[in-house]
Amino acid sequence: MEFLGLRNKKILVTGASSGIGKETCQLLSSIGADIYITGRNMERLEELRDNCKNVKQLIAADLTDDDSIESLVDSIPMLDGVVNCAGIIFPFPVKFIGEKHISSVFRINFNSQVILNSMLFRKKKIQKSASIVFVSSVSSQFPYEGGALYTSSKAAIEAYSRATALEYAKYSIRSNVVSPGLVKTKIFEKTMEASSKEELENYEKNYPLGYGDPIDVANSIVFLLSARSRWITGQNIILDGGLTLGSK
Amino acid sequence: MEIEVFLGKIKAEFNEDYDTGDLGLDDNIKNMEWWSSMHALVIIALIDTEYDVMLEPSQMKSANTVRELFTLINNIKG
Repeated sequence: MEFLGLRNKKILVTGASSGIGKETCQLLSSIGADIYITGRNMERLEELRDNCKNVKQLIAADLTDDDSIESLVDSIPMLDGVVNCAGIIFPFPVKFIGEKHISSVFRINFNSQVILNSMLFRKKKIQKSASIVFVSSVSSQFPYEGGALYTSSKAAIEAYSRATALEYAKYSIRSNVVSPGLVKTKIFEKTMEASSKEELENYEKNYPLGYGDPIDVANSIVFLLSARSRWITGQNIILDGGLTLGSK
Repeated sequence: MEIEVFLGKIKAEFNEDYDTGDLGLDDNIKNMEWWSSMHALVIIALIDTEYDVMLEPSQMKSANTVRELFTLINNIKG
């Protein structure tokens, strides 16, 4: 794993308490990166810290609060990488969407990530040649019924990533997105609670390689953090087990 | 909140696309031949819009009839 050259590199991971964020931390720890973690569930973050020897700092932060984001940014050192995993899924039919629904989804999936990353730049916490990774969703390009708000928030973060990539290329700072299909996380399980077993089994038939596991996404995130991807910026890597091939 | 009013709102929501005329308070709505998880989302959204109660997917899954939904809403609202 020295191939990736991330030993002692300082990486901030948001949404680290579960799912893709947690898996990314475990993978980064296994290859010797120094990890700075934040998330909503302190108990699970502490558990992660206990299991990952390279967690250097656990930061309790409410990413929906600007002051909390500023405290987070002030407390961490210069970073070699940022992984933005914090997010929520909020299935809601188009005709019922109101301001409060837009705010609740965009506040977490877009606003907080934009404010965090912009503040990291403003306070000079991003090293030259650093890499920023956002977690979007394949659904921003291939939507599903009930996903209007979620997919819109993901499309917005993809656009932010591309603009960031353009603005910071002069410092060799890269910004990329990974867009997974359905991955077996706690959020996935919660979302699927409203579906029948038959619906779930039928839907998985759309995935030639089956549903993904968090490690499938973490592998690509770590690649994008590493210098092995140094010529990749402003891109969106689709991780969907063949979903978008269109076969069934 | 009257339970018949609630039933009327659910019927009105779906009657453009489906025949909901026979839907009763104690019928299992998930046994309707047109039922899918998207309809569960519509009911969750309708309840949020009309009664300011946001059901968790697990709560929606546990309620099968309009009466059970009505009871759930009232329990949450206290």
